[in-house]
Amino acid sequence: MDPTIQINEIVDVVPIFRGRASEINVCTPWKMKYGIHEVVFTKLGMRHPTAKGKRMIHVFDVSDGINDYRLEFDAERLIWTLVSMVEGNS
Amino acid sequence: MYGINKEEALIMHIDLNSAFATAEQQAHPSLRGKPMGVTNRISKECCVIAASYEAKALGIKVGMRRTEAMAICPTFVLLETDPPKYNAVYQKLIKIMLTYSDKIKMKSIDEGIIDFHGMEHILNGRTLEDIGYEIKQRVKTEIGDWMKINVGIGTNRFLAKEAAGWHKPDGLDKIDHTNLIKYYKDRELTDLSGIAERYGARLNAYGIMNAMDFLKAPEYMLKKQVFKSINGTYWYQRLRGFEMDDHETSLGMVGRQWVVKDPSDKDEYLLPCLSFLCETTGMKLRYREVEARGVAVWVSYQNGEYWHQRRMHKSTFYTNQEIYRRALELFNKRPHGIVRTMGIYTYMLTPSQVSQLSMFDDITKVRNITKAVDEINDFYGTFTVYAGTSLEGKKIIKQKIPFGGTEYFDLLLKTA
Repeated sequence: MDPTIQINEIVDVVPIFRGRASEINVCTPWKMKYGIHEVVFTKLGMRHPTAKGKRMIHVFDVSDGINDYRLEFDAERLIWTLVSMVEGNS
Repeated sequence: MYGINKEEALIMHIDLNSAFATAEQQAHPSLRGKPMGVTNRISKECCVIAASYEAKALGIKVGMRRTEAMAICPTFVLLETDPPKYNAVYQKLIKIMLTYSDKIKMKSIDEGIIDFHGMEHILNGRTLEDIGYEIKQRVKTEIGDWMKINVGIGTNRFLAKEAAGWHKPDGLDKIDHTNLIKYYKDRELTDLSGIAERYGARLNAYGIMNAMDFLKAPEYMLKKQVFKSINGTYWYQRLRGFEMDDHETSLGMVGRQWVVKDPSDKDEYLLPCLSFLCETTGMKLRYREVEARGVAVWVSYQNGEYWHQRRMHKSTFYTNQEIYRRALELFNKRPHGIVRTMGIYTYMLTPSQVSQLSMFDDITKVRNITKAVDEINDFYGTFTVYAGTSLEGKKIIKQKIPFGGTEYFDLLLKTA
């Protein structure tokens, strides 16, 4: 079974930009407000760039220690979107 | 005794373990350590195209249907492929490899070669094993802590690849004249890279039953009897650690094939799909900056029959419309039957002449419209503008992940 739950909702995110860090850790989402919940991320799984047409999108796969979240940052519109999540007990 | 190459082993083969599945486990910490896999598009009967090591340990194999995998492990997790993610891993791996030598060659999306010939001075006395362990560590810190690679070192590409597969996962081995015999003693013929069942059967017919027999076989016998070509000599040398595979292959054909989603004999279903395949072929031609003179269409039928027709033209062509028009002429001649797989390829490729001025107004118009459409698709994503004849085909045919060459990866990513 594919445990991915599609969400596609714009969310509030607090990111951390580190001045001196390895390339994969320069920018990491720290916490997110989704509905009434505040989710604090404890692990960055992977970050990779992609494109929608010529629009640059940064994809962050993060985890709060239980669930995995896929966040996309639209570098042109400066918007964070919670694209999907995978529940940890799946 | 066997004339084995005694040179220093300076070829390193790097292979990402279960690349797509491991990349997904890297991105999804909750899936680490669990049996999971990746498929192109999830459906009831879709196939596993990559399986995690945990899944492989349970007996789930690549190519297995989802229902079979679920029967083995009811908690088996299957995700859809994410090409940009794999491309990011691929690009980072290239970046790491390039810091050691400019002579690198990616064999596919998950494996590549570093040639250290002429680079001995920058090794600073370090062995290739030291470099291999360093690359393993860098993959973990620069790509992700779950990523694992196999490293193989050999005197040629063949032995380096064999070494990389010796102790999976996360292995590092070297095969040279000191341990080559020991390696072959434990190997069956089909364990060797490049020897599948058909070659294996051919070798068996001449009494060559395992890798050691293969090594002992005389060159004359391999060339004149077993392979009946220069391939016999190539294998004779390759097995002894001499380089036979360091050559560039020229671009011979460009095309696309498709396993028909719902096997059919109906033109209203097949023609839009053919048109879509022609559009993809045209895009590839222009991406490689070549034009074609020949076009071929082939079809395999539900009853096992196969049909193929090709035609050479006097002038070159590169537009989607021209490819479709020429392919359609051939496709309409096919025998009646339920089509299971179909494909089109163009051949006799020559460098593109698009930049040259034409005396004929209609040629210039075609050139301009093709260029304009390509620019729109480049800006807004592939298949933003496409032919009306492909409308239904685009809905049916899904884009696939390139397993072999990585030449068209950038083109595929523009679809995102």
